[in-house]
Amino acid sequence: MLSVENITVCYGQMKALQGVSLEISQGDMVALIGANGSGKSTLMNVISGMIQAVSGEIIWEGRPLKGLSPDNICQAGIIQVPEGRKLFPGMTVEENIIMGAYHPNVRRQAPESLQKVFSTFPRLADRRRQFAGSLSGGEQQMVALGRALMAKPRLLMLDEPSLGLAPKAAAEIFMIIKELNKEGMTILLVSQEVLETLSITTYGYVLENGIMALKGPSRELRENPKVKTSYLGL
Amino acid sequence: MDAVLIIQSLISGIMMGMVYALLGVGFSLTWGVMHVIHISHAAFGLIGAYLSYSLLQYCGVDPVVSAAVSVPLLFITACGLYQLLIRPITRAQNIVMASMILTFGLAIILENIMALIWKADPRVLTPTYSSGALIAGPFYFQYPHLVGFGLSVLGITAIYLFLKKTYTGMAVRAAWQQPEAAQLYGVNLYRISMITFALAVSTAGAGGISLALLNSFEPHSHNLWLIYLFLVVIVGGVGNVIGTALAGLIIGVITGLSMAFLPFQWVNLVTFGLLMIFLIFRPHGLIKQEGM
Ligand SMILES: Nc1ncnc2c1ncn2[C@@H]1O[C@H](COP(=O)(O)OP(=O)(O)OP(=O)(O)O)[C@@H](O)[C@H]1O
Ligand SMILES: [Mg+2]
Repeated sequence: MLSVENITVCYGQMKALQGVSLEISQGDMVALIGANGSGKSTLMNVISGMIQAVSGEIIWEGRPLKGLSPDNICQAGIIQVPEGRKLFPGMTVEENIIMGAYHPNVRRQAPESLQKVFSTFPRLADRRRQFAGSLSGGEQQMVALGRALMAKPRLLMLDEPSLGLAPKAAAEIFMIIKELNKEGMTILLVSQEVLETLSITTYGYVLENGIMALKGPSRELRENPKVKTSYLGL
Repeated sequence: MDAVLIIQSLISGIMMGMVYALLGVGFSLTWGVMHVIHISHAAFGLIGAYLSYSLLQYCGVDPVVSAAVSVPLLFITACGLYQLLIRPITRAQNIVMASMILTFGLAIILENIMALIWKADPRVLTPTYSSGALIAGPFYFQYPHLVGFGLSVLGITAIYLFLKKTYTGMAVRAAWQQPEAAQLYGVNLYRISMITFALAVSTAGAGGISLALLNSFEPHSHNLWLIYLFLVVIVGGVGNVIGTALAGLIIGVITGLSMAFLPFQWVNLVTFGLLMIFLIFRPHGLIKQEGM
């Protein structure tokens, strides 16, 4: 469905990604793991068209994404929930979620999608008129997820969805992600909670300083000695 | 002091303030959404006023009717200007500075064009009802003032509803509050910037017509208007429609009252003095929340 081939990205002189490749098939949930600054967010942003790669190619459903702007890529069905959620602070919860259906392809279904988001996250329905900035971290992450679901993603990319959340809220978010994948959504998941992430995904990639150091079925990665010492603290 | 005079000047202040608000909202949006400080904003308002003047003078078209023509015309013109002038500078390192220099030049060009076409003499809009007035007890409201006020209320309401109720309007707010997320959800920043710029310029036109119904104008009037725009936006908070509207009203009332009770030379001194005091206490403007 998505294949990232040999991508290199530079910020000025610094190479943030160097010849990185990654594959995702329809219905998969794939983990992307790496230390701080290893290039995880950069990779997501290249796929979303927010950053241009110096070389390499990204093929989405058989077609190259080269030269497409972020709004085109959103239209193509690749939706990112960015690191730090990036909600619209001066908009209400409902407005934030509705903005997810901005794209003309999905706009007509917005009312039904909104109902569905509110039934998935009943807590948001009670707070629909509140400013998004006034919610708790867990609730804000739900708004970010709800906004993404409005866009009817065919590939959902989640960048650290549990960052800064209390264990209970994080567990709740992971539950929902698992549920979404069970319903058939293809997901690329970046998370610092390596054990949790490797237990709900089928396949995993490990980035180290901009290089794809390891890849394999998540079950095997969990047993990998290098992963154990570097990421699981065992 | 005379209570009637106080109330009368309070009301004229509110009328004036609403016009400042209409002119200010667009200025504030371009500033907030695009980081473009549009120095020629008021000059476009003045073009709206002159278009109305000519259409009234030579074709007998009422200013309100001609607004329905000149506002869309300015919208289209502004779309072209955006592509030609503004879009290229959005790649500049320092957009704020680049945009100020560019649009300062544009303001001078527009001023000279207006002086060429319409001459430097002060003009007034004199629609058929210009000598009429609404008399309510001891109060007295000239019809053109009421129409100008009505036009500005209409303009502000339209902008508010656009931003609040339409997808495109929401995208304008989204692009200003969180441009990255807006892009990730399908907002094309260039398209939204063009719409913001064109909306601002066309509502400036409406504001210019409103102002021309209240005051006389000449090719360099936009310089003074611009100072008031800065006042309104700084007090109201950049990009904030409700704050801008409130700020317009407050500044209108302050100038209205000081014009009635202070020697002419003192009016600006009082207005700007109060602004400085205000900024010391509320450096973020009236409304801190990045709402609307
Ligand atoms: N806009 C930028 N300009 C310059 N350097 C950047 C920029 N964004 C990221 N970098 C650098 O690129 C490298 C990779 O950053 P990236 O954000 O992709 O890492 P990450 O794996 O997502 O880290 P984290 O776990 O902290 O989110 C880092 O060294 C970072 O400092
Ligand atoms: Mg990151």
